[in-house]
Amino acid sequence: MTRRRLAAATAFLGLPGAWIGLFFVLPMATIVLMSFWRVVDYELVADFTLASYEKLIRPLYLNVFWRTIKVSLLVTLISLLIGYPVAYYLARKTKRFRVTLLVLVILPLWTSYLVRTYAWMLILGTKGAVNQALQAVGLTDEPVSWLLYSDFAVTLALVHIYVPYLILPIYSVLEKLDPSLFEAAKDLGGGRWRTFLHVTLPLSLPGVATGCLFVFIPSMGSFVTPELLGGTRSILIGSIVAQQFGVAFEYPLGSAMALAIMAIILVAAVAMLRAGRPAGVA
Amino acid sequence: MAARRLSSTPLLGLWTALVLLFLFAPLFLVVLFSFNTSEISIFPIQGYTLEWYGRLAGNEAFRSALINSFVVAAATVVLATALGVAMATGVHRYGARWRTVLRSGAGLPMMVPHLILGIALLSFYNVLQIDLSLLTVIIGHSIVAFPYVFLIISARLVGSDPSIEEAARDLGAGTLTIFVEITLPLLAPAILAAALISFTLSFDEVVVTFFTTGTENTLPMMIWSMLRFGITPEINAIATLTIVVSCAMAGLAEIAIRRATADSTRR
Repeated sequence: MTRRRLAAATAFLGLPGAWIGLFFVLPMATIVLMSFWRVVDYELVADFTLASYEKLIRPLYLNVFWRTIKVSLLVTLISLLIGYPVAYYLARKTKRFRVTLLVLVILPLWTSYLVRTYAWMLILGTKGAVNQALQAVGLTDEPVSWLLYSDFAVTLALVHIYVPYLILPIYSVLEKLDPSLFEAAKDLGGGRWRTFLHVTLPLSLPGVATGCLFVFIPSMGSFVTPELLGGTRSILIGSIVAQQFGVAFEYPLGSAMALAIMAIILVAAVAMLRAGRPAGVA
Repeated sequence: MAARRLSSTPLLGLWTALVLLFLFAPLFLVVLFSFNTSEISIFPIQGYTLEWYGRLAGNEAFRSALINSFVVAAATVVLATALGVAMATGVHRYGARWRTVLRSGAGLPMMVPHLILGIALLSFYNVLQIDLSLLTVIIGHSIVAFPYVFLIISARLVGSDPSIEEAARDLGAGTLTIFVEITLPLLAPAILAAALISFTLSFDEVVVTFFTTGTENTLPMMIWSMLRFGITPEINAIATLTIVVSCAMAGLAEIAIRRATADSTRR
Protein backbone atom coordinates (compact mmCIF):
# COMPACT_ATOMS: atom_id res chain seq x y z
CA MET A 1 0.00 0.00 0.00
CA THR A 2 1.49 3.34 -0.99
CA ARG A 3 1.79 6.05 1.62
CA ARG A 4 -0.89 8.14 -0.09
CA ARG A 5 -3.30 5.24 -0.20
CA LEU A 6 -2.65 4.52 3.44
CA ALA A 7 -3.35 8.16 4.35
CA ALA A 8 -6.61 8.06 2.40
CA ALA A 9 -7.64 4.77 4.00
CA THR A 10 -6.94 6.20 7.45
CA ALA A 11 -9.02 9.29 6.71
CA PHE A 12 -12.01 7.29 5.44
CA LEU A 13 -11.98 4.50 8.00
CA GLY A 14 -10.24 6.18 10.94
CA LEU A 15 -12.73 8.92 11.73
CA PRO A 16 -15.89 6.77 11.79
CA GLY A 17 -13.90 4.00 13.47
CA ALA A 18 -12.80 6.37 16.22
CA TRP A 19 -16.35 7.68 16.69
CA ILE A 20 -17.83 4.19 17.00
CA GLY A 21 -14.94 3.17 19.26
CA LEU A 22 -15.42 6.16 21.53
CA PHE A 23 -19.20 6.30 21.75
CA PHE A 24 -20.23 2.69 21.20
CA VAL A 25 -17.40 0.29 22.10
CA LEU A 26 -16.21 2.24 25.16
CA PRO A 27 -19.73 2.66 26.63
CA MET A 28 -20.36 -1.05 26.15
CA ALA A 29 -17.00 -1.75 27.83
CA THR A 30 -18.04 0.63 30.62
CA ILE A 31 -21.06 -1.48 31.56
CA VAL A 32 -18.91 -4.62 31.50
CA LEU A 33 -16.56 -2.96 34.01
CA MET A 34 -19.39 -1.42 36.00
CA SER A 35 -21.11 -4.77 36.50
CA PHE A 36 -18.25 -5.58 38.90
CA TRP A 37 -18.51 -2.28 40.80
CA ARG A 38 -20.34 -1.43 44.00
CA VAL A 39 -22.63 1.38 45.11
CA VAL A 40 -21.83 2.87 48.50
CA ASP A 41 -24.00 5.74 49.77
CA TYR A 42 -25.27 6.54 46.30
CA GLU A 43 -21.73 6.71 44.95
CA LEU A 44 -20.25 4.32 42.41
CA VAL A 45 -17.10 2.67 43.71
CA ALA A 46 -14.72 0.94 41.35
CA ASP A 47 -14.18 -2.57 42.63
CA PHE A 48 -14.11 -6.18 41.53
CA THR A 49 -17.05 -7.90 43.14
CA LEU A 50 -19.49 -10.49 41.82
CA ALA A 51 -22.23 -9.13 44.09
CA SER A 52 -24.35 -7.88 41.17
CA TYR A 53 -24.22 -11.25 39.47
CA GLU A 54 -25.24 -12.91 42.74
CA LYS A 55 -28.25 -10.58 42.95
CA LEU A 56 -29.01 -11.32 39.31
CA ILE A 57 -29.69 -15.01 39.96
CA ARG A 58 -32.30 -14.35 42.64
CA PRO A 59 -35.55 -16.15 41.74
CA LEU A 60 -37.31 -12.77 41.51
CA TYR A 61 -35.10 -11.63 38.63
CA LEU A 62 -34.72 -15.06 37.03
CA ASN A 63 -38.52 -15.23 36.77
CA VAL A 64 -38.59 -11.90 34.94
CA PHE A 65 -35.81 -13.04 32.61
CA TRP A 66 -37.69 -16.25 31.90
CA ARG A 67 -40.94 -14.35 31.24
CA THR A 68 -39.10 -11.98 28.88
CA ILE A 69 -37.59 -14.88 26.95
CA LYS A 70 -41.00 -16.56 26.69
CA VAL A 71 -42.74 -13.38 25.52
CA SER A 72 -39.94 -12.63 23.01
CA LEU A 73 -40.05 -16.14 21.57
CA LEU A 74 -43.83 -15.99 21.34
CA VAL A 75 -43.63 -12.59 19.60
CA THR A 76 -41.08 -14.03 17.16
CA LEU A 77 -43.19 -17.12 16.44
CA ILE A 78 -46.43 -15.16 15.92
CA SER A 79 -44.60 -12.65 13.72
CA LEU A 80 -43.27 -15.51 11.62
CA LEU A 81 -46.69 -17.09 11.22
CA ILE A 82 -48.25 -13.74 10.31
CA GLY A 83 -45.37 -12.39 8.25
CA TYR A 84 -44.17 -15.34 6.19
CA PRO A 85 -47.32 -15.58 4.01
CA VAL A 86 -47.08 -11.82 3.38
CA ALA A 87 -43.43 -12.07 2.30
CA TYR A 88 -44.34 -15.07 0.13
CA TYR A 89 -47.22 -13.23 -1.49
CA LEU A 90 -45.12 -10.12 -2.19
CA ALA A 91 -42.20 -12.07 -3.63
CA ARG A 92 -43.94 -14.75 -5.63
CA LYS A 93 -47.60 -14.03 -6.19
CA THR A 94 -47.88 -10.43 -7.21
CA LYS A 95 -46.12 -8.29 -9.76
CA ARG A 96 -48.44 -5.38 -10.30
CA PHE A 97 -48.85 -4.26 -6.69
CA ARG A 98 -45.45 -5.42 -5.45
CA VAL A 99 -43.81 -2.00 -5.04
CA THR A 100 -46.92 -0.39 -3.54
CA LEU A 101 -47.43 -3.22 -1.04
CA LEU A 102 -43.74 -3.26 -0.16
CA VAL A 103 -43.80 0.46 0.62
CA LEU A 104 -46.94 -0.08 2.73
CA VAL A 105 -45.12 -2.76 4.75
CA ILE A 106 -42.06 -0.54 5.21
CA LEU A 107 -43.86 2.69 6.16
CA PRO A 108 -45.13 1.69 9.64
CA LEU A 109 -41.61 0.50 10.42
CA TRP A 110 -40.42 4.10 10.37
CA THR A 111 -43.19 5.47 12.54
CA SER A 112 -42.44 5.80 16.23
CA TYR A 113 -42.86 2.63 18.32
CA LEU A 114 -43.90 4.88 21.18
CA VAL A 115 -46.84 6.20 19.17
CA ARG A 116 -47.76 2.70 18.03
CA THR A 117 -47.68 1.48 21.63
CA TYR A 118 -49.92 4.39 22.60
CA ALA A 119 -52.33 3.43 19.82
CA TRP A 120 -52.79 0.02 21.45
CA MET A 121 -53.66 1.73 24.73
CA LEU A 122 -56.54 3.38 22.87
CA ILE A 123 -57.64 0.06 21.40
CA LEU A 124 -57.28 -2.24 24.41
CA GLY A 125 -58.29 0.01 27.33
CA THR A 126 -61.45 -0.64 29.35
CA LYS A 127 -63.17 2.06 27.28
CA GLY A 128 -61.11 1.21 24.21
CA ALA A 129 -62.33 0.30 20.76
CA VAL A 130 -62.28 -3.47 21.35
CA ASN A 131 -64.23 -3.37 24.60
CA GLN A 132 -66.75 -0.96 23.11
CA ALA A 133 -67.25 -3.27 20.16
CA LEU A 134 -67.61 -6.35 22.40
CA GLN A 135 -70.19 -4.60 24.57
CA ALA A 136 -72.07 -3.19 21.58
CA VAL A 137 -72.42 -6.68 20.10
CA GLY A 138 -73.48 -7.94 23.52
CA LEU A 139 -70.65 -10.44 23.99
CA THR A 140 -69.84 -9.01 27.40
CA ASP A 141 -71.58 -6.70 29.86
CA GLU A 142 -68.48 -5.71 31.76
CA PRO A 143 -65.36 -4.44 29.95
CA VAL A 144 -62.75 -7.19 29.51
CA SER A 145 -59.95 -6.09 31.81
CA TRP A 146 -57.17 -8.45 30.73
CA LEU A 147 -56.89 -6.82 27.30
CA LEU A 148 -54.63 -4.06 28.60
CA TYR A 149 -51.83 -4.34 31.19
CA SER A 150 -51.15 -7.99 30.41
CA ASP A 151 -48.79 -10.30 28.51
CA PHE A 152 -51.47 -10.35 25.83
CA ALA A 153 -51.22 -6.58 25.26
CA VAL A 154 -47.41 -6.58 25.29
CA THR A 155 -47.19 -9.52 22.88
CA LEU A 156 -49.76 -8.08 20.50
CA ALA A 157 -48.10 -4.66 20.38
CA LEU A 158 -44.59 -6.08 19.96
CA VAL A 159 -45.81 -8.23 17.05
CA HIS A 160 -47.41 -5.15 15.53
CA ILE A 161 -44.23 -3.09 15.94
CA TYR A 162 -41.66 -5.64 14.73
CA VAL A 163 -43.42 -7.82 12.14
CA PRO A 164 -42.24 -5.63 9.20
CA TYR A 165 -38.63 -6.34 10.27
CA LEU A 166 -39.37 -10.01 9.70
CA ILE A 167 -41.23 -9.66 6.41
CA LEU A 168 -38.44 -7.75 4.65
CA PRO A 169 -35.52 -10.23 4.94
CA ILE A 170 -37.77 -13.18 4.04
CA TYR A 171 -39.12 -11.24 1.09
CA SER A 172 -35.65 -10.39 -0.22
CA VAL A 173 -34.53 -14.03 -0.03
CA LEU A 174 -37.71 -15.34 -1.71
CA GLU A 175 -37.55 -12.70 -4.40
CA LYS A 176 -34.04 -13.73 -5.46
CA LEU A 177 -34.90 -17.44 -5.85
CA ASP A 178 -34.46 -18.71 -9.39
CA PRO A 179 -37.92 -19.30 -10.97
CA SER A 180 -36.54 -22.32 -12.86
CA LEU A 181 -36.32 -24.17 -9.52
CA PHE A 182 -40.09 -24.04 -9.20
CA GLU A 183 -40.58 -25.12 -12.80
CA ALA A 184 -38.24 -28.05 -12.20
CA ALA A 185 -40.17 -29.03 -9.07
CA LYS A 186 -43.41 -28.84 -11.04
CA ASP A 187 -42.01 -30.87 -13.95
CA LEU A 188 -40.92 -33.53 -11.49
CA GLY A 189 -44.50 -33.80 -10.34
CA GLY A 190 -44.24 -31.94 -7.05
CA GLY A 191 -47.55 -30.57 -5.89
CA ARG A 192 -47.86 -27.07 -4.54
CA TRP A 193 -47.43 -28.13 -0.92
CA ARG A 194 -44.51 -30.44 -1.64
CA THR A 195 -42.77 -27.77 -3.69
CA PHE A 196 -43.25 -25.34 -0.85
CA LEU A 197 -42.09 -27.73 1.87
CA HIS A 198 -39.11 -29.17 0.00
CA VAL A 199 -37.95 -26.27 -2.17
CA THR A 200 -39.27 -22.85 -1.12
CA LEU A 201 -39.20 -23.21 2.65
CA PRO A 202 -35.66 -24.67 2.97
CA LEU A 203 -34.28 -22.07 0.57
CA SER A 204 -35.92 -19.24 2.48
CA LEU A 205 -34.47 -20.30 5.86
CA PRO A 206 -31.61 -17.75 5.84
CA GLY A 207 -34.20 -14.97 5.48
CA VAL A 208 -36.36 -16.57 8.19
CA ALA A 209 -33.38 -16.68 10.57
CA THR A 210 -32.45 -13.04 9.96
CA GLY A 211 -36.08 -11.95 10.25
CA CYS A 212 -36.64 -13.86 13.50
CA LEU A 213 -33.50 -12.31 14.94
CA PHE A 214 -34.66 -8.81 13.97
CA VAL A 215 -37.83 -9.46 16.00
CA PHE A 216 -36.28 -11.34 18.91
CA ILE A 217 -33.48 -8.83 19.64
CA PRO A 218 -35.60 -5.69 20.13
CA SER A 219 -38.27 -7.72 21.97
CA MET A 220 -35.70 -8.95 24.49
CA GLY A 221 -34.61 -5.37 25.10
CA SER A 222 -38.04 -3.78 24.91
CA PHE A 223 -38.78 -1.20 27.56
CA VAL A 224 -41.33 1.34 26.32
CA THR A 225 -43.97 -1.20 25.25
CA PRO A 226 -44.02 -3.42 28.38
CA GLU A 227 -43.77 -0.32 30.57
CA LEU A 228 -46.91 1.19 29.02
CA LEU A 229 -48.94 -1.93 28.17
CA GLY A 230 -47.70 -4.45 30.71
CA GLY A 231 -48.72 -2.69 33.90
CA THR A 232 -47.85 -4.60 37.04
CA ARG A 233 -49.03 -7.94 35.65
CA SER A 234 -46.55 -8.16 32.78
CA ILE A 235 -43.17 -6.81 33.84
CA LEU A 236 -40.33 -7.53 31.43
CA ILE A 237 -36.63 -7.30 32.18
CA GLY A 238 -36.24 -4.02 30.25
CA SER A 239 -38.28 -2.15 32.86
CA ILE A 240 -36.22 -3.66 35.69
CA VAL A 241 -32.97 -2.62 33.95
CA ALA A 242 -34.30 0.91 33.45
CA GLN A 243 -35.23 1.14 37.14
CA GLN A 244 -31.63 0.42 38.16
CA PHE A 245 -30.53 3.49 36.22
CA GLY A 246 -33.28 5.63 37.69
CA VAL A 247 -34.47 5.98 41.26
CA ALA A 248 -32.92 2.68 42.40
CA PHE A 249 -29.43 3.91 41.42
CA GLU A 250 -28.02 0.42 41.08
CA TYR A 251 -25.85 0.88 37.99
CA PRO A 252 -23.79 -2.26 38.67
CA LEU A 253 -26.86 -4.51 38.94
CA GLY A 254 -28.44 -2.85 35.88
CA SER A 255 -25.20 -3.37 33.92
CA ALA A 256 -25.06 -7.03 34.88
CA MET A 257 -28.68 -7.45 33.76
CA ALA A 258 -27.98 -5.69 30.46
CA LEU A 259 -25.04 -8.01 29.84
CA ALA A 260 -27.21 -11.02 30.62
CA ILE A 261 -29.69 -9.76 27.99
CA MET A 262 -26.80 -9.40 25.50
CA ALA A 263 -25.68 -12.97 26.31
CA ILE A 264 -29.19 -14.30 25.65
CA ILE A 265 -29.29 -12.34 22.38
CA LEU A 266 -25.91 -13.76 21.36
CA VAL A 267 -26.98 -17.35 22.07
CA ALA A 268 -30.21 -16.79 20.14
CA ALA A 269 -28.29 -15.22 17.24
CA VAL A 270 -25.87 -18.14 16.96
CA ALA A 271 -28.70 -20.68 17.25
CA MET A 272 -30.98 -18.97 14.75
CA LEU A 273 -28.29 -18.26 12.16
CA ARG A 274 -27.04 -21.85 12.43
CA ALA A 275 -30.57 -23.19 12.02
CA GLY A 276 -31.03 -20.84 9.08
CA ARG A 277 -28.12 -22.09 7.03
CA PRO A 278 -29.42 -23.05 3.60
CA ALA A 279 -30.16 -26.75 3.96
CA GLY A 280 -31.07 -29.60 1.67
CA VAL A 281 -29.63 -28.01 -1.47
CA ALA A 282 -26.24 -28.84 -2.83
CA MET B 1 -51.19 -36.78 -5.68
CA ALA B 2 -54.46 -35.22 -6.59
CA ALA B 3 -53.60 -31.57 -6.29
CA ARG B 4 -56.58 -29.33 -5.93
CA ARG B 5 -56.69 -26.72 -8.64
CA LEU B 6 -57.90 -24.02 -6.28
CA SER B 7 -55.36 -21.22 -6.38
CA SER B 8 -53.74 -20.03 -3.15
CA THR B 9 -53.11 -16.57 -4.55
CA PRO B 10 -56.41 -14.86 -3.54
CA LEU B 11 -56.11 -16.32 -0.04
CA LEU B 12 -52.56 -14.99 0.34
CA GLY B 13 -53.67 -11.65 -1.06
CA LEU B 14 -56.47 -11.46 1.48
CA TRP B 15 -54.02 -12.37 4.27
CA THR B 16 -51.64 -9.62 3.14
CA ALA B 17 -54.50 -7.12 3.14
CA LEU B 18 -55.47 -8.16 6.68
CA VAL B 19 -51.89 -7.80 7.91
CA LEU B 20 -51.67 -4.32 6.37
CA LEU B 21 -54.95 -3.46 8.10
CA PHE B 22 -53.43 -4.69 11.38
CA LEU B 23 -50.38 -2.46 10.74
CA PHE B 24 -52.28 0.68 9.80
CA ALA B 25 -55.55 0.61 11.77
CA PRO B 26 -53.97 1.61 15.12
CA LEU B 27 -52.15 4.53 13.47
CA PHE B 28 -55.34 5.57 11.72
CA LEU B 29 -57.17 5.55 15.06
CA VAL B 30 -54.66 8.01 16.57
CA VAL B 31 -55.04 10.35 13.59
CA LEU B 32 -58.83 10.08 13.79
CA PHE B 33 -58.95 10.93 17.50
CA SER B 34 -56.67 13.93 16.95
CA PHE B 35 -59.61 15.60 15.16
CA ASN B 36 -62.23 14.49 17.71
CA THR B 37 -64.02 17.30 19.59
CA SER B 38 -64.31 15.16 22.72
CA GLU B 39 -61.52 15.43 25.27
CA ILE B 40 -61.32 11.68 25.73
CA SER B 41 -60.23 9.30 23.00
CA ILE B 42 -63.21 6.97 22.88
CA PHE B 43 -65.89 6.16 20.33
CA PRO B 44 -68.25 7.47 19.11
CA ILE B 45 -66.53 10.46 17.55
CA GLN B 46 -68.37 13.55 18.82
CA GLY B 47 -67.45 15.83 15.94
CA TYR B 48 -64.43 17.12 14.11
CA THR B 49 -62.19 19.97 15.18
CA LEU B 50 -58.70 21.41 14.77
CA GLU B 51 -58.77 22.71 18.34
CA TRP B 52 -56.03 20.38 19.66
CA TYR B 53 -53.66 21.42 16.90
CA GLY B 54 -54.49 25.05 17.66
CA ARG B 55 -53.76 24.53 21.35
CA LEU B 56 -50.39 22.99 20.47
CA ALA B 57 -49.38 26.10 18.55
CA GLY B 58 -49.76 28.11 21.74
CA ASN B 59 -48.11 25.49 23.97
CA GLU B 60 -44.64 26.64 25.06
CA ALA B 61 -43.50 23.14 26.17
CA PHE B 62 -44.55 21.72 22.80
CA ARG B 63 -42.73 24.41 20.85
CA SER B 64 -39.45 23.93 22.67
CA ALA B 65 -39.74 20.12 22.38
CA LEU B 66 -40.41 20.48 18.65
CA ILE B 67 -37.39 22.76 18.20
CA ASN B 68 -35.19 20.41 20.25
CA SER B 69 -36.34 17.44 18.17
CA PHE B 70 -35.48 19.25 14.95
CA VAL B 71 -32.08 20.39 16.25
CA VAL B 72 -31.18 16.88 17.43
CA ALA B 73 -32.42 15.26 14.21
CA ALA B 74 -30.56 17.75 12.01
CA ALA B 75 -27.30 17.26 13.91
CA THR B 76 -27.79 13.47 13.80
CA VAL B 77 -28.31 13.62 10.05
CA VAL B 78 -25.04 15.53 9.52
CA LEU B 79 -23.00 13.33 11.87
CA ALA B 80 -24.41 9.91 10.98
CA THR B 81 -24.44 10.59 7.24
CA ALA B 82 -20.86 11.92 7.15
CA LEU B 83 -19.52 9.05 9.26
CA GLY B 84 -21.57 6.39 7.48
CA VAL B 85 -20.61 7.59 3.99
CA ALA B 86 -16.92 7.76 4.96
CA MET B 87 -17.02 4.28 6.49
CA ALA B 88 -18.91 2.69 3.59
CA THR B 89 -16.59 4.30 1.00
CA GLY B 90 -13.53 3.34 3.04
CA VAL B 91 -14.62 -0.28 3.43
CA HIS B 92 -15.54 -0.49 -0.25
CA ARG B 93 -12.21 0.94 -1.43
CA TYR B 94 -9.66 -0.12 1.13
CA GLY B 95 -11.44 -2.92 2.98
CA ALA B 96 -10.00 -5.74 0.85
CA ARG B 97 -9.64 -8.81 3.05
CA TRP B 98 -11.01 -7.13 6.18
CA ARG B 99 -14.28 -6.34 4.43
CA THR B 100 -16.44 -8.92 6.23
CA VAL B 101 -15.05 -7.97 9.65
CA LEU B 102 -15.47 -4.24 8.98
CA ARG B 103 -19.01 -4.75 7.67
CA SER B 104 -20.15 -6.70 10.72
CA GLY B 105 -18.39 -4.18 12.96
CA ALA B 106 -20.25 -1.27 11.38
CA GLY B 107 -23.55 -3.15 11.73
CA LEU B 108 -22.96 -4.07 15.36
CA PRO B 109 -24.80 -1.13 17.00
CA MET B 110 -27.95 -2.45 15.26
CA MET B 111 -27.71 -5.69 17.23
CA VAL B 112 -27.82 -3.88 20.57
CA PRO B 113 -31.30 -2.94 21.86
CA HIS B 114 -31.74 0.82 22.32
CA LEU B 115 -32.30 0.28 26.04
CA ILE B 116 -28.81 -1.19 26.45
CA LEU B 117 -27.22 1.44 24.22
CA GLY B 118 -28.93 4.09 26.34
CA ILE B 119 -27.78 2.76 29.72
CA ALA B 120 -24.26 2.12 28.37
CA LEU B 121 -23.96 5.73 27.22
CA LEU B 122 -25.42 6.97 30.51
CA SER B 123 -22.84 4.94 32.47
CA PHE B 124 -20.07 6.15 30.18
CA TYR B 125 -21.07 9.82 30.61
CA ASN B 126 -21.43 9.26 34.34
CA VAL B 127 -17.91 7.83 34.72
CA LEU B 128 -16.40 10.65 32.65
CA GLN B 129 -18.60 13.18 34.50
CA ILE B 130 -19.99 14.57 31.27
CA ASP B 131 -23.15 16.62 31.89
CA LEU B 132 -26.23 15.38 30.06
CA SER B 133 -27.59 17.73 27.41
CA LEU B 134 -28.89 17.68 23.86
CA LEU B 135 -25.29 17.09 22.78
CA THR B 136 -25.15 13.77 24.63
CA VAL B 137 -28.48 12.86 23.00
CA ILE B 138 -27.09 13.70 19.55
CA ILE B 139 -24.08 11.44 20.15
CA GLY B 140 -26.43 8.58 21.07
CA HIS B 141 -28.60 9.13 18.00
CA SER B 142 -25.54 9.22 15.74
CA ILE B 143 -24.70 5.69 16.95
CA VAL B 144 -28.31 4.56 16.34
CA ALA B 145 -28.42 5.96 12.79
CA PHE B 146 -24.86 5.11 11.69
CA PRO B 147 -25.42 1.42 10.75
CA TYR B 148 -28.47 2.31 8.65
CA VAL B 149 -26.47 4.91 6.69
CA PHE B 150 -23.62 2.44 6.29
CA LEU B 151 -25.92 -0.28 4.92
CA ILE B 152 -27.75 2.02 2.49
CA ILE B 153 -24.50 3.51 1.10
CA SER B 154 -22.73 0.13 0.96
CA ALA B 155 -25.60 -1.38 -1.03
CA ARG B 156 -25.29 1.48 -3.53
CA LEU B 157 -21.50 1.18 -3.80
CA VAL B 158 -21.69 -2.54 -4.53
CA GLY B 159 -23.89 -1.77 -7.52
CA SER B 160 -21.63 1.01 -8.82
CA ASP B 161 -19.23 0.78 -11.75
CA PRO B 162 -15.56 0.98 -10.64
CA SER B 163 -14.34 1.87 -14.15
CA ILE B 164 -15.53 5.49 -13.78
CA GLU B 165 -13.22 6.10 -10.81
CA GLU B 166 -10.39 4.22 -12.54
CA ALA B 167 -10.76 6.40 -15.62
CA ALA B 168 -10.55 9.53 -13.46
CA ARG B 169 -7.44 8.17 -11.75
CA ASP B 170 -5.82 7.41 -15.12
CA LEU B 171 -6.52 11.00 -16.12
CA GLY B 172 -4.54 12.12 -13.07
CA ALA B 173 -7.28 12.95 -10.54
CA GLY B 174 -6.29 12.67 -6.86
CA THR B 175 -8.18 10.71 -4.20
CA LEU B 176 -10.00 13.75 -2.82
CA THR B 177 -10.90 15.04 -6.29
CA ILE B 178 -12.29 11.64 -7.26
CA PHE B 179 -14.32 11.44 -4.04
CA VAL B 180 -15.80 14.92 -4.41
CA GLU B 181 -16.24 15.01 -8.19
CA ILE B 182 -17.20 11.39 -8.91
CA THR B 183 -18.11 9.29 -5.88
CA LEU B 184 -20.30 11.81 -4.07
CA PRO B 185 -22.45 12.76 -7.10
CA LEU B 186 -22.92 9.06 -7.91
CA LEU B 187 -23.95 8.43 -4.33
CA ALA B 188 -26.22 11.49 -4.09
CA PRO B 189 -29.61 9.69 -4.15
CA ALA B 190 -28.39 7.07 -1.65
CA ILE B 191 -26.97 9.80 0.60
CA LEU B 192 -30.30 11.62 0.47
CA ALA B 193 -32.12 8.42 1.41
CA ALA B 194 -29.69 7.74 4.26
CA ALA B 195 -30.07 11.32 5.54
CA LEU B 196 -33.87 11.06 5.54
CA ILE B 197 -33.80 7.72 7.35
CA SER B 198 -31.38 9.16 9.94
CA PHE B 199 -33.76 12.06 10.45
CA THR B 200 -36.73 9.73 11.06
CA LEU B 201 -34.75 7.48 13.40
CA SER B 202 -33.67 10.45 15.49
CA PHE B 203 -37.01 12.24 15.36
CA ASP B 204 -38.82 9.17 16.75
CA GLU B 205 -36.13 7.92 19.14
CA VAL B 206 -37.23 7.79 22.77
CA VAL B 207 -35.26 5.18 24.73
CA VAL B 208 -31.69 6.40 24.13
CA THR B 209 -33.02 9.94 24.57
CA PHE B 210 -34.66 9.00 27.88
CA PHE B 211 -31.31 7.98 29.36
CA THR B 212 -29.06 10.59 27.78
CA THR B 213 -31.01 13.84 27.94
CA GLY B 214 -30.56 16.44 30.64
CA THR B 215 -33.47 18.76 31.32
CA GLU B 216 -34.43 19.28 27.66
CA ASN B 217 -37.38 17.41 26.17
CA THR B 218 -37.76 16.15 22.64
CA LEU B 219 -41.17 15.46 21.11
CA PRO B 220 -41.16 11.69 21.82
CA MET B 221 -40.00 12.47 25.39
CA MET B 222 -42.97 14.81 25.73
CA ILE B 223 -45.34 12.05 24.59
CA TRP B 224 -43.62 9.64 26.98
CA SER B 225 -44.07 11.93 29.98
CA MET B 226 -47.71 12.53 29.07
CA LEU B 227 -48.33 8.77 28.92
CA ARG B 228 -46.66 8.29 32.29
CA PHE B 229 -47.89 11.32 34.18
CA GLY B 230 -51.20 12.33 32.66
CA ILE B 231 -52.64 12.40 29.18
CA THR B 232 -54.02 15.65 27.78
CA PRO B 233 -56.21 15.73 24.66
CA GLU B 234 -53.35 17.26 22.66
CA ILE B 235 -51.46 13.95 22.74
CA ASN B 236 -53.25 12.63 19.64
CA ALA B 237 -52.30 15.75 17.71
CA ILE B 238 -48.62 15.45 18.73
CA ALA B 239 -48.62 11.74 17.86
CA THR B 240 -50.24 12.49 14.49
CA LEU B 241 -47.59 15.10 13.71
CA THR B 242 -44.79 12.59 14.38
CA ILE B 243 -46.57 9.99 12.22
CA VAL B 244 -46.84 12.50 9.35
CA VAL B 245 -43.17 13.55 9.64
CA SER B 246 -41.94 9.92 9.77
CA CYS B 247 -44.09 8.78 6.86
CA ALA B 248 -43.08 11.77 4.73
CA MET B 249 -39.36 11.23 5.39
CA ALA B 250 -39.54 7.45 4.88
CA GLY B 251 -41.64 7.90 1.74
CA LEU B 252 -39.12 10.34 0.25
CA ALA B 253 -36.26 8.01 1.21
CA GLU B 254 -38.03 5.16 -0.56
CA ILE B 255 -38.32 7.27 -3.71
CA ALA B 256 -34.63 8.25 -3.48
CA ILE B 257 -33.54 4.62 -3.09
CA ARG B 258 -35.67 3.51 -6.03
CA ARG B 259 -34.19 6.28 -8.14
CA ALA B 260 -30.68 5.19 -7.13
CA THR B 261 -31.38 1.56 -8.07
CA ALA B 262 -33.02 2.61 -11.33
CA ASP B 263 -29.91 4.70 -12.13
CA SER B 264 -27.50 1.85 -11.51
CA THR B 265 -29.47 -0.64 -13.59
CA ARG B 266 -29.59 1.79 -16.47
CA ARG B 267 -25.81 2.23 -16.49
